[in-house]
Parts: sequence; structure tokens; C-alpha cells
Amino acid sequence: MTKPKISSDWLAGCAGCHMSLLDIDERIIKIAELADLRATPITDLKEPDEDGVDVGILEGGINNTANEEVAHRMRARCKLLVSFGDCAVFGGVPAMRNFHGIEASLQRAYVDTESTDSEGKIPDDPELCTMTKVRAIHEVVPVDIFLPGCPPDPDVIFYALSELAQGRIPELKDDLLQWN
Amino acid sequence: MMINITIDNVQYQVEENITVLEAARRVGVHIPTLCDHPELSPYGGCRLCLVEIDGARTLQPSCTLPVVPNMVVRTNTERVKTARKFILTMIFSERNHFCPYCQVSGGDCELQNAAYGEEMTHWSLQPNWKSYPMDASHEYIILEHNRCILCRRCVRACGELAGNFTLGFEERGADSMLVADLGVPLGESTCISCGTCVQVCPTGALIDRWSAYRGRETQVDHHETICVGCSIGCGIDVLTRDNNLVRIEGDWEAAVNNGVICKVGRFHPVDNDRERILTPLVRKDGKQKATTWDEAIGFIADQIRSSKNGDGTKVAGLISTRLPAETLFQFKELFADQLDCKAVTSLEEGLPNANPTRYAEVSGPFEARLEVIDRSDCIVVLDCDLVDKHEVAGFMVKRTISNGAKLLVLSSEDNKLGQPADVFIKIDKAAVKDVISGLHAALMADNERVKKASAASGVPQDQFTTAAQLLKDSQRPVFIYGKNISADEPDLFDQVVDLKKALGLPRDDYSGLLGLKGKANSLAATQYGLDKAVDLADQKVAFVSLGDDEISQRTMSALEQVPFLAVSATYTSALTSKADVVLPAANWMEQSGHYVNLEGRIQKANASLDAPENIWTSSKIIHELAEALGIKAEGHTWKKELTTRASSAVLFE
Repeated sequence: MTKPKISSDWLAGCAGCHMSLLDIDERIIKIAELADLRATPITDLKEPDEDGVDVGILEGGINNTANEEVAHRMRARCKLLVSFGDCAVFGGVPAMRNFHGIEASLQRAYVDTESTDSEGKIPDDPELCTMTKVRAIHEVVPVDIFLPGCPPDPDVIFYALSELAQGRIPELKDDLLQWN
Repeated sequence: MMINITIDNVQYQVEENITVLEAARRVGVHIPTLCDHPELSPYGGCRLCLVEIDGARTLQPSCTLPVVPNMVVRTNTERVKTARKFILTMIFSERNHFCPYCQVSGGDCELQNAAYGEEMTHWSLQPNWKSYPMDASHEYIILEHNRCILCRRCVRACGELAGNFTLGFEERGADSMLVADLGVPLGESTCISCGTCVQVCPTGALIDRWSAYRGRETQVDHHETICVGCSIGCGIDVLTRDNNLVRIEGDWEAAVNNGVICKVGRFHPVDNDRERILTPLVRKDGKQKATTWDEAIGFIADQIRSSKNGDGTKVAGLISTRLPAETLFQFKELFADQLDCKAVTSLEEGLPNANPTRYAEVSGPFEARLEVIDRSDCIVVLDCDLVDKHEVAGFMVKRTISNGAKLLVLSSEDNKLGQPADVFIKIDKAAVKDVISGLHAALMADNERVKKASAASGVPQDQFTTAAQLLKDSQRPVFIYGKNISADEPDLFDQVVDLKKALGLPRDDYSGLLGLKGKANSLAATQYGLDKAVDLADQKVAFVSLGDDEISQRTMSALEQVPFLAVSATYTSALTSKADVVLPAANWMEQSGHYVNLEGRIQKANASLDAPENIWTSSKIIHELAEALGIKAEGHTWKKELTTRASSAVLFE
């Protein structure tokens, strides 16, 4: 039997969910024995295999056109898509900007902050992607499995990964269900 | 009568006249709820408790639906579960319910817990991204509208429990907003800071400034005890974390207060910046210097020994009525019984109970229990303050009048209960007797005496007759009085008793006289005879067991006459700075013991914190002082001794 291929990527998040993934510590070896860990932000391979992976994992919400592209590509190349962490599942902390709007948020971040000098300027390079409202992954592409948490607890991540690596769908309830 | 109903295919016998939710709870079937609260009237606002009823076209809210014979209820069908998830999704999408940055996330949020209960891993609807204001104007409470789910628990608690009606709602539907008064900031509103709204809020919409982010339910320890802020003795739950006070909540199970407490009980102990005394101090060369317990206690013992002469020991003993009964009795044993000191009393000198106790010594216990307030149909507030002190009794009065009871207020001072009163007779301090006489005369239809009382007091005759009529129409009147009456001349109190007699009421629990008793253990101190007015003039030594209490200016001036002053106290004060020996004592949260509340209820206060190192309880200090003097003061018989003297209220546990 071939090992299931797992790939992941991060979008509008803080990388904390991937840090929490690394917090499963030596158990990651068990996962690697059961599954083929392909492209992730913490491995060398940068894009999920063109011929597809079994499980795609996305951390972070979607807040610009570049993230949309990554999400669409992952969706197209994976069989099961996992929304990983509160930002991916709900929009999370980055979604706070939705309460204020993009203009006001850019103004605050690049011009008004106390540490910005008089030269503060909102980046306008035409090569930059376009910012959008911050959305949960499932608002942009269909999601199969939701793994909330800020970040998800390492034990929850290990449970979910080991189930997926063994071809089962993780069932999140009771102590395993934490939005925090 | 019991009726048959079926819940989830099991038949049960339940009482009639209860709701489906109540019935389900009694038989142990869980139905999730949000707007429902056991202490509040059903509201039916959140719809989370929807159930399927056979024969009903739509799902029904179980919290407002009464049970009927042979009803068939289904709480867990796919239809119900789908509806619950949809309702929760709608609530989550209405405002900002992102958990990671909320103070109640992680076990303390009923909304989050409800979603976990439905195994919701995500929301299918996204929020509408509308920003709502946050009101941080209040000294103790933060109102975060973004977290509000419009369940109106706070509004009901404010009106139904505290009787204050500060909170309300404006607008309709999605525009609904919780408002204080007519839309003023909470900190500028008529809020009386009882914090009941915070305690009932299911989400992080109303949070308490002091405890926010300092410990969740899963991280704190609970200590069931009583408040010693006044003589009501409300049941409280003290939440601590790593031996630090986090928060105080009302105990819903407590018979005295049913969960409602006031700002003195909830917020004042947390908002305490008094400076702690951490070591024994002895005055040497005019300055207080840190010393050991042995030296400090030994020094006091020497002074006590040398003040002995032919006519007893010239030592005055004064003790705070915020201390437990065990400690009060131990104090009396040491100073009055063993050392034979004449000037041994409490700091209140028995004033809050003087007349009621005198009356009880002749006619036995006569005072009613607190529960008479909620059952009364006419409450008479006799010259006492139920808003700044004994506030929970004030809540009882306010919520009872909002249910239709009449309120008469006779007051010599500005009285905040005067505004909602049906009759408010503001009286000249000198004319209190005339006013009570006028009311009595009106009850007896003695027009001549009414006229005379009116002339003497300046109160119009028709006020007397209106007030008397309200009393005559009442089935269960209650007269509430405090120190102004209890400590005044005996015949004024007799007049008050005559008022009740004039109504010809039987002496039972449903009507009567209810006296406020000052501090937490005033009544116990009186029972032990620690209620005398004492003359400190010729005393050589004074020992004050102050605990965490404060002392009156009058007592302090009297103590200045005494050559040697020893004080055991928790916090530094003008008194401790004058003392020759200062002993650091535990505060009320660091000691256990019993208290007798104003209705005679004997309750135990349990320690919720460990005292800092090298600090003793007031009880241990008295014990060690007795040891140093070669005598014993253990306080073991405290309970038996409570009943050696007639008490104004029947003592009970």
C-alpha cells in the first residue's frame, strides 16, 4: 500500500498552527512513517505535487488574491482539504480588519502607527496582489475537514494527522473540539 | 398534581404548571439553553431550547412551553439538532464572536460550550462584520456590545433580582442594543454596581474589570463561604487562583440571598488597596520597630499583669464584630471571665441591637426572617438606609414593590428608597416619635392624636391616614428598622412594636419586625454580652482586636486616653500608627468561623485564602496572649453561650 501524501501551506495566519504541528514533537516521526509529507512551508518542496496529494492542509484565512490562488491550487490538487486553525476556519484575528475596512486598516498600518515617520506610505506597487475582505477558507473553496483552535492543540493535530495518515476521517468532538 | 409526559420515548410523571424545560431538567434530560437562567423568569429569546412536540406544527421553545397531560416531547431528533445548529450559527454571525481574543473563551462561555455540545467545528454563515461600541465607563464592569447575544439575562437580573431596572433594550431585531437607563454610559447610569448582570451573562459581553483574564473556570478554586460586609451574611463563592483572590460571586444556593450580592460583597474586597501589616511591631524610643511574635505578645502580657490591682484588671478589651463568633467568645473568656476586666465590649457597643435585645429579654424572640420581605405586600422602612448599607435587603424591597407591594418610608435622613415609595414621610430627627405616634393614631383612627402628631411633627394629617390605610389593606406587612430606632430611647422602640400590635396581626413568619444589625456578627457579640458602652478613662491598657475592620473616630479619641495600646489588625490605619504594639492579623478571607446574621441564622464562613507567612488569625493571637498569661481562652463553648441570653431573633442553623 502506498503511503497517503500530505501537503500543507499557510495563508493569512501567523504560522502558529504549523508551530503547534511541530509541537507534536517526536510523534512527527510516526506520522512520517505512515504518510508521505510533501510540500509544506517547513519542507523544501514548495508546491503540492501536480499529480495530486491525498490530504491538503491550509492554515490562515484568505485576505488577498494571492491567497485565493494558493487555495484554489491546493483544492485542485488534493482529495481532502483540511481547514487548519481558527483563521482558516473562521477568519480569526486577521478578520478583525473586516470590522474596519481595508482602507482604514492600511492607513493605520502604514501611515498612522506611532512608529511610522512622516514618510509613511501605503505600498502601491502594481505587482502586489489585491487585498480582499478576510474570509474563512470554506468561503472560497469547498472544505472537507475543519480543525479549529488558536492554535489547535498538538494532541488534536496528532490525532487528526494520524487518522488522515491511516485513511480515516478524524472526528472532532468532546475534548478534541477546541476553538479557543 | 402529577401528569404523564413522554420525553425522548421515555414516560415520566412530572408536576403540572411547570415548563417542558423544567420537566426535562428534573428528570435529567439535557436541553441546551442560552437565554434561560434558573433564577430568572423564562424569556424564550434565544430559541436554542427548541423541541419537537408531537402534534405541533413547528418546533417549540421548551423554556416557555407549559407541560400538558400526555405531551410527547422529542429533544434530540434530526430536525431539532439541525435547528439548534442553525440558531447557533445565526447567533455567531450576528456580532463578533471570535473566540481567541475573548476573556470567557475556554470553558466560561455558554455560547461556545453550546456550540461544542452540538459538535460544531465551524460556522456556515460568516459574521456581518459590523462593529459595535464597547462601554468601559463603569468602575467595575465592562460592557462589550460586540459579544452580546441579546439574551436579556442581564436586563432580567437587574430588574427581577436587584430591583434596579437600570438595564434595558432599545430598538428591535438586529438593531437591538443593551442600554443603561435612557442610553447613557454604564458608568454614568443608575447602576448600583451589584454585578449580578456580570454573573448571569452567558458570554463575554459583561465582564468584570478586576478578574478579566486572571483565571478561567478551569484554573480557579471555588470556596463556598459568606460575606461579612454587613449583618445579612449573604452566601458567596470566592474564586481564587494560586492563593490570589480572583473574583467573588453570589451563591445561587444560599438561602439568605439566593445568589444576589451587592458591590460591598462582590467588588470591594477585590478593590482593596489598604496597606497590609506584615510583622509584629513594638514601639521603642517613640518609634514602631519590627519584632518577633514572642516579644510582642510577651510585652502585652507584661503590661496586662502590671495593670492588675485590687478592683480587677485595668485593661480594656475592644473587639470588632466582623470577627467570627468563636473569636468573640474567646475574647470575652480571656478579658471578661479570666482577667476580670470591666471594660470589655465590641466596637459597636451593642448599639444596633440595644432595644430589640432589651425587648426580647422581656417577651422572647420576636423578629422576622429576611424572607418576609419577598412575601410582603406592604413594606415599612423605618428610618434606616437600605441603599448604602444592607443593600441586599434593599434589593429585596425594590423587587418586591416592583411586583406590586406597597412601600412606606419614614426617614429622618435623605433616603433613596423615598423616590419609589408610595408614601414618603420625611421627618425631622427630633420628631421621629411624633411621626410614629401619628401613624399609630391613624391606625387606631384616633383623629385627635393624629392632629396632635401632625402639629408636633409638621407631617400633614393626610400622609398619616394614607400610610395607615395602606397598612390596613395589607395582609403581610413588614417593618424594617435599623440603628436609628434600635439604639434610640427604649420607648421609641416600644412605639414601633405597638405599630405592629395595632394591626392586630398574628405573630408569625409572614409579617413582622425586622431589625438590621450593623456588622456581620453584631448579634453574636450582643449574645455574649459584648454590648456595653464602656468608659476607657481609668484604664491602663487597651487591647483592640480590630481584624480587617475600621474604627470610629469617637472610639479612637477615647483610646488615646489609655496609656498603653495594643492592636491586632490586618491593615495599617490611624489606630495602628498610635499603638504601642501592633500584631498582624489575618483578614476575613483567611480565617474560618461562625457568624449570626440579622435574622438569627448561624452560618459558617470558610477560609478561602492562606494568610501571608508570619500572620496569625485574631483567634490565634488571643489564644497565644492567654497562654503567655498562663490562662486558657479557647472559645470552645461559643455555640452554647450564644443562647444563654434571650435574643431578638430565634437563633437557627
